[in-house]
Amino acid sequence: MNPQRTKARKAVAKARQQGISTNLKITIGMVVAAVVVLATALVIGRAGDGTPVPAAARDDSHRISTAADGRVTVVEFLDFECAACGAAYPGVERLRADYGNSITYVVRYFPIASHPNAYTSAHAAEAAARQGAFEPMYRKLFDNQRAWGGQRQDRTETFIGYARELGLDSEKFRADMADPAVDARVRAEADDGVRLGVQGTPTFFVNGVEYEPDALKQAIDQALSR
Amino acid sequence: MNTISDRLLGWILTVGGLLGGVAAFVLVVEKIALLRDPSYTPSCSINPILSCGSVMSTPQAAAFGFPNPLLGVALFPLVVATGVAVLGGVRLPRWWWLGLQAGTLLGVVFVHWLIVQSLYRIGALCPYCMVVWIVTIVMFSGTTLRNIGHGVLPFPDAWRAPVAALHTAIPVAWLLVLTALIGQAFWTYWRTLL
Repeated sequence: MNPQRTKARKAVAKARQQGISTNLKITIGMVVAAVVVLATALVIGRAGDGTPVPAAARDDSHRISTAADGRVTVVEFLDFECAACGAAYPGVERLRADYGNSITYVVRYFPIASHPNAYTSAHAAEAAARQGAFEPMYRKLFDNQRAWGGQRQDRTETFIGYARELGLDSEKFRADMADPAVDARVRAEADDGVRLGVQGTPTFFVNGVEYEPDALKQAIDQALSR
Repeated sequence: MNTISDRLLGWILTVGGLLGGVAAFVLVVEKIALLRDPSYTPSCSINPILSCGSVMSTPQAAAFGFPNPLLGVALFPLVVATGVAVLGGVRLPRWWWLGLQAGTLLGVVFVHWLIVQSLYRIGALCPYCMVVWIVTIVMFSGTTLRNIGHGVLPFPDAWRAPVAALHTAIPVAWLLVLTALIGQAFWTYWRTLL
């Protein structure tokens, strides 16, 4: 009886051991596989990063001021619905007025997805750009940010109203706002921003170097005096 | 055959319940701070992707008309109590296990809805919420596998033991799939961290 019992106990222990090992084997196997996949992704990601960091501004980026000599370019990544961008806007307008045609000022999209109309407003600006009215729409969106921003409902109709006020072809504007190419353009700009290390809005670059809003004027003066 | 031990399950429920409860509590506190001062930046808003402030102010953050973490504050302590009882060697009745099964099932379904919203609608991750995702998945797997192994849940008898034996493989696979989805959804962001 006794030896039999020990035998049975051993069998149970063995079964238990095998059970544990199957479970653990699968678990460890999966973790190892995941690590391998991750490592591969990292290597490929790095290789992909070998593509140079894009320039802060591209040829087709929207310029709301253009310098005669092209020596100093300020790039702002913004989200039309971000309160900090709205707060920075009057300063930017003053800056553009002060420096006139001695700086180029580029505005690029960096919609923050948590703002309900971040993409919609960027689409509106891009749709206006298709009718040569990027800057007026840029102004309109910031001047009225408090009226349309920070609310959950979709603001497409509000923006179409702005387009009408600006004397744009509102039917073309409506169609352009929904055009996947417009959305792709907005996303491509945001991707450039991510690759440039933009983490929030507004983010400013002066000749490709990132500056805090407070340091912007000094950086521009420095670049101009060079 | 080998199934999840009471000891392990007790620890999973105790620790998981505590982590989930603390995360829910912090989210409630942050929500109150955000209500008092809309410009308040929660402790977990690190950047546009890792940001609970933006997640907390979405309609999905109050799916039932009140802030979701209130559910966690109320219910995670129940799970902790169950875990502690199991660790203390209390034999809980079958209906208790069925109740825990139903509760964790509802929790895991809700958490997956939140995951989809966070990844594909809101486009931001809230670190405290992710703690809740993880512990809910682990606690649901543990409870389910225990209930399958102990015959509390209906299940084909031939499969009962082999499935119950995979008590680490199943939650790990689950979390790895989740990791992959998070990695894919925010790939452009993760790339910048390389």
